Amino acid sequence: MPENAAHSADQATPADDRAASMPDWVDPRPWLPMARHATADDVERALCAVSPDENTLAALLSPVAAASFMEPMARKAQMLTREHFGRTIGLYVPLYLSDYCCNGCVYCGFAADRHQQRRCLTPEEIRAELAAIEREGFEEILLLTGERMPQADFAYLREAVAEAARRFHLVTVEVFPMSTDEYRQLAAAGCTGVSIYQETYDPARYLELHRWGPKRDYANRLATPGRALAGGLRSAGLGALLGLNDPQFEMLALYRHARHLQRTCWQAGVALAFPRIRPQAGNWQPPNPVSERALLQILLAFRIVCPDMPLTLSTRERPGFRDGVAGLAVNKMSIGSRTTVGGYAQNAVNEIGQFVISDDREIAAFLAALSGKGLQPVFKNSESVYRNAS
Amino acid sequence: MINDTLVLGGHSFDSRLLLGTGKFSDNETMRRAVAASGAQLVTVALRRFNRDRPGDDLLAPLLAMGVTLAPNTSGARDAREAIQAAQLARELCGSPFVKVEIHPNPHHLMPDPIETYTAARELVKEGFIVLPYMPADPVLAKRLEDVGCAAVMPLGAGIGTGGGLATVEMLRLIVHNSGIPVIVDAGLRSPSDAAAALEMGCAAVLVNSAIAAAGDPPAMAAAFALAARAGRAAFHAGLMGRSATAVPTSPLTDFTRE
Repeated sequence: MPENAAHSADQATPADDRAASMPDWVDPRPWLPMARHATADDVERALCAVSPDENTLAALLSPVAAASFMEPMARKAQMLTREHFGRTIGLYVPLYLSDYCCNGCVYCGFAADRHQQRRCLTPEEIRAELAAIEREGFEEILLLTGERMPQADFAYLREAVAEAARRFHLVTVEVFPMSTDEYRQLAAAGCTGVSIYQETYDPARYLELHRWGPKRDYANRLATPGRALAGGLRSAGLGALLGLNDPQFEMLALYRHARHLQRTCWQAGVALAFPRIRPQAGNWQPPNPVSERALLQILLAFRIVCPDMPLTLSTRERPGFRDGVAGLAVNKMSIGSRTTVGGYAQNAVNEIGQFVISDDREIAAFLAALSGKGLQPVFKNSESVYRNAS
Repeated sequence: MINDTLVLGGHSFDSRLLLGTGKFSDNETMRRAVAASGAQLVTVALRRFNRDRPGDDLLAPLLAMGVTLAPNTSGARDAREAIQAAQLARELCGSPFVKVEIHPNPHHLMPDPIETYTAARELVKEGFIVLPYMPADPVLAKRLEDVGCAAVMPLGAGIGTGGGLATVEMLRLIVHNSGIPVIVDAGLRSPSDAAAALEMGCAAVLVNSAIAAAGDPPAMAAAFALAARAGRAAFHAGLMGRSATAVPTSPLTDFTRE
């Protein structure tokens, strides 16, 4: 193993039986020297790569790429985004169903030791929220919960998915890991995709940050997207929470995870998200903060190495940044989001969300900003007939 | 030129440029590009039909233009999904045409030959005028002709790649053997690609990304229209043969007596 063999990934305590080591297919360490020490020649070669790979991404994530190649990277990324996604931005909206949770994720506003008032939407409230979101014009919805809890268990989620599928063409979930059979049932109820972020790909850091609860199982989480796709969901969204660990390590592992899924599930749609840790309840400070400039570099690099992969950006980022990356690298965005439980049909009871939203523009203002950039906001880009025929 | 019309399923078209309608910055630019292209047959994705939100809908503006529509089934992963999509699209827009588009992998968007064949055969039986988007495979082209497709639509290169006529040798074989129109779909980047396809005997080309992603989409649409006409005219005029060696103007073999 090259120079970074002493990385903390090797330091997981063997005493903890949940301390998984990284499988080879996701391990980014062989490419870290390139990411750290790429030369200008390496970056130029990466910009011309016909078949981009780990070396390409590593060079584009390097300090020299950040210092001297952001503009050429942006030009290439914009061209590729236009080729594959046209001058369009797909829109979606999140709905938090429940903030009950038993996990101890140190960075999360919904973690079990945050003594806030918990809430879970009733079936009637879910219907009202979905109706309110539908009135806004959205055709794609993302349903979220915390860990599997008695208040929001699998049956609850399945019913919520079925209700959403009556109104929306695409229904995706960002919830607790499930079994392949549960994903099969969810697909039958109308679920089209799952987002499941590894948060950090470093097993040791993962254990530090996920202090207790089912989410502490690194290997189970890593295998979840594969189970979802095997269960019949059409797409899997992957991501690492930027700020938790060395971003070069995380982004190379994320790329390897995505490529692994593409190779092992050949019909899978794989999408990537780039959430940057935001201030949230508890005021926890991230150990490896990622600047806006660094996030831009990451987005450009991924567009160049994964030209046909949807890249998503949420309202965690501020309006100016979101408008800047729309169509440059990002092709899918949320808007009008609430990160509280409910909040679309009526004001949320608990006003403290999972994280602070930075882009709180009205939908119309965001659409106008996109149009001003020559980008068409697209609400509907799927058809429920495809879901029902399966 | 005498009566050089493109006939698909009994419908005649003067233009040999077909347009795809996704990927534009707004509906007005799309509408202006269609108008500038002179295209009479345009494709539109069922998944972009949206009666609930007029600004998000591609169908209504195209219906208002009076062009003939060929709804496509993009988003379908298999024959069953494509068949249901075709039926729904016919209900919603009333066109007898369907462009069968089945790509099970949402990243490279390569058409599935097996599912495409299955769906095309079924949809022909149901009375559709079927235009299948297909890999540039000469055997599959004949299979699709045999089941009654109105044309075949082999790819020049991957959707949105701008790879041009990367499959040119297979396209030549398909054209050489086809009894139905061959329409090159996907991958074209420049008007010269369109001209080259028509010069070699393709009946038409379908273009979307190359126009939608151009600096000035309506102007590029007009340029493609010119190229399609030039290519077709050249096809009729008959290209000179290609020779690997120079042809001297003075004969080299005129010294024999008998």
